Amino acid sequence: MLRCMKPIDAPEEPFVTHPARISKRTLLSAALSGVLTLAACTSGNGGTSTPAGSDGGLNGEIIVSGSSTVEPITSIVLEDFAAANPDVTYEVDGPGTGDGFALFCDGLTDVSDASRAITDEEVATCETNGVDFVQLKVGIDGLSVITAVDNTDVTCLSFGDLYALIGPESQGFDTWDAANDLASELGSDFGETHAPYPAAPLEITGPGEESGTFDSFVELVMADPAEARGAHETTRPDYQASADDNVIIENVSGSDSSLGWVGFAFADENAERVKLLAVDGGDGCVAPTPETIASNEYPISRDLYIYVNVDNAAANPALAAFVDYYLSDAGIAAVTEADYVALDAAALEETRAAWEGR
Amino acid sequence: MTARTQAVPAREAVAARLRRGAGDPRGTVLQALLLASLLIALGVLVVLLADVVTRAAPTFVERGADVITAPLSARPARAGMLQGIIGSLLLMVFVIAIAFPLGIGAAVYLEEYARDRGSTRFIRTNVRNLAGVPSIVYGLLGLAVFVTLLGMGRSAIAGGLTLAVLVLPIAVITTSEALRAVPASIREAAFGVGATRWETIRSHVLPYATPGILTGTILSLGRAFGETAPLIMVGAVVGTFNGVDPVAMLTGSYTSLPTLVYNWSREPQEDFRALTAAAIVVLLVVIGLVNATAIYLRNRYDRRW
Repeated sequence: MLRCMKPIDAPEEPFVTHPARISKRTLLSAALSGVLTLAACTSGNGGTSTPAGSDGGLNGEIIVSGSSTVEPITSIVLEDFAAANPDVTYEVDGPGTGDGFALFCDGLTDVSDASRAITDEEVATCETNGVDFVQLKVGIDGLSVITAVDNTDVTCLSFGDLYALIGPESQGFDTWDAANDLASELGSDFGETHAPYPAAPLEITGPGEESGTFDSFVELVMADPAEARGAHETTRPDYQASADDNVIIENVSGSDSSLGWVGFAFADENAERVKLLAVDGGDGCVAPTPETIASNEYPISRDLYIYVNVDNAAANPALAAFVDYYLSDAGIAAVTEADYVALDAAALEETRAAWEGR
Repeated sequence: MTARTQAVPAREAVAARLRRGAGDPRGTVLQALLLASLLIALGVLVVLLADVVTRAAPTFVERGADVITAPLSARPARAGMLQGIIGSLLLMVFVIAIAFPLGIGAAVYLEEYARDRGSTRFIRTNVRNLAGVPSIVYGLLGLAVFVTLLGMGRSAIAGGLTLAVLVLPIAVITTSEALRAVPASIREAAFGVGATRWETIRSHVLPYATPGILTGTILSLGRAFGETAPLIMVGAVVGTFNGVDPVAMLTGSYTSLPTLVYNWSREPQEDFRALTAAAIVVLLVVIGLVNATAIYLRNRYDRRW
């Protein structure tokens, strides 16, 4: 596989004049190709072996794309799987759930990571292109509403509060107290309001529209109040949107009166920089913890999925073996390793049954 | 006599200027401003470097060369930049093999052969414009032409060609400048003893222009080494993959050091931020080496006339 003896030749300079110069230039190109060869040769010690599911002897290519939220889980599983099956090559990236489905339904990827269920529109695209798939739920993620650690004015927000502060009707509110009236109107209908808010600048950072985290937030939090008030199911347009979760953490921790939302894993990783707010979905304030998320007590949590191309799995034994390993006890442990919340036994059995019955 | 009596005050005035006497407050202010701009520019650089190096240092101390030789991984404790380094070197081979010969050839034609007509000036102006086009535009070009139209897919070949095209105008311009700096008398001397145009170029013009050509092309190599946006556009992997064979990367998954920096900076775990800094340090060291090579070669071949 590695060709240590045969470097890729660097080109010779086209204009050679003096003999003395030839050797220098040859040296230069030799050095370049030498470095390349060296880099290739050091790769031999690559596979740190981790015992993973199936036995060796498999080969093939596994291409995964989709949600950046699920990517860390799938990366860990793939890495362990490929360590046990060194002839399997893989590639995994995370441009976002929507982009991932676009590639998946074009037949360009084998597995699509998703932080929401596939939409009817996306199913139609898959059908048109003859892509037959199976949906497998692998874990749960809580969406965390966050503010700066030093923000002592807020500890809990209800769905009504979130709608008043971030919803479509909050456009133009640049201080927290501007949302007081709207929050009072929504009051008890969507959880007890925590207005009056402080007279401090309201600086919101969240994921952009391309993100599964954005979709989930709108669907879980905004949908009901927006429908009740006849507004569009979306957020206000005038907030700082970023596709990079670290930028969201950075912005939220940078101002004492900030507000934002990200996946639980990111917020929890950065718990000393941002404050995770409790959320009231109508049954009182619940703080996001792995337990409250798994038990569905915490109101804004979402399921994490992988979608597998069934025909590719039939044609490529490595892909089938990979999904087998993903759903095994050893593989599914990656969900907790990546800081998400594991499925309970019943849900995991359901996922395994869905895979067996593909 | 008159000449001498006038010369004395002139000499004193020159001496006073050179001693930078107090008689020039505006000059002093200007000097302070210029010094301040130098200090600000250097200060920003030093702060940036110090920040990155202090963030990266613990990683290097803890893991040593392993950070560089280990392959990509989703686990920060194990992740290394091997594929990024191989990928970047592979891309540089394309730039050297394609952009440099083409760029130097085009410049020699433009400067030595082409007549100074409207069409030549038009081409020259546009080459300059191309050098100023944002790199993401070259990414779009690479995506449309190499990845899709020519069917190369998301491979290192497509990435390498995209970078080569990106660097081409810069190679043409720097080579042109180097050729233009060769005094006309050198060419005239060669023609004068009956040399043909090609003989003149080969044995007189190019040897004298070599230091300039080398400096320019190698600096453009440094630019290509640091590019991220066009590579992401043409499909360098922003994630992980397990192949480390450069030959397989030619047609399959590949990534580069700057892409790796971008990817790691997006990861949630705190440990990846230290790795990001480590990758930036490696990137800076490589670019520093490239620039040092340029300076060395320039001094090595520099000749005066």
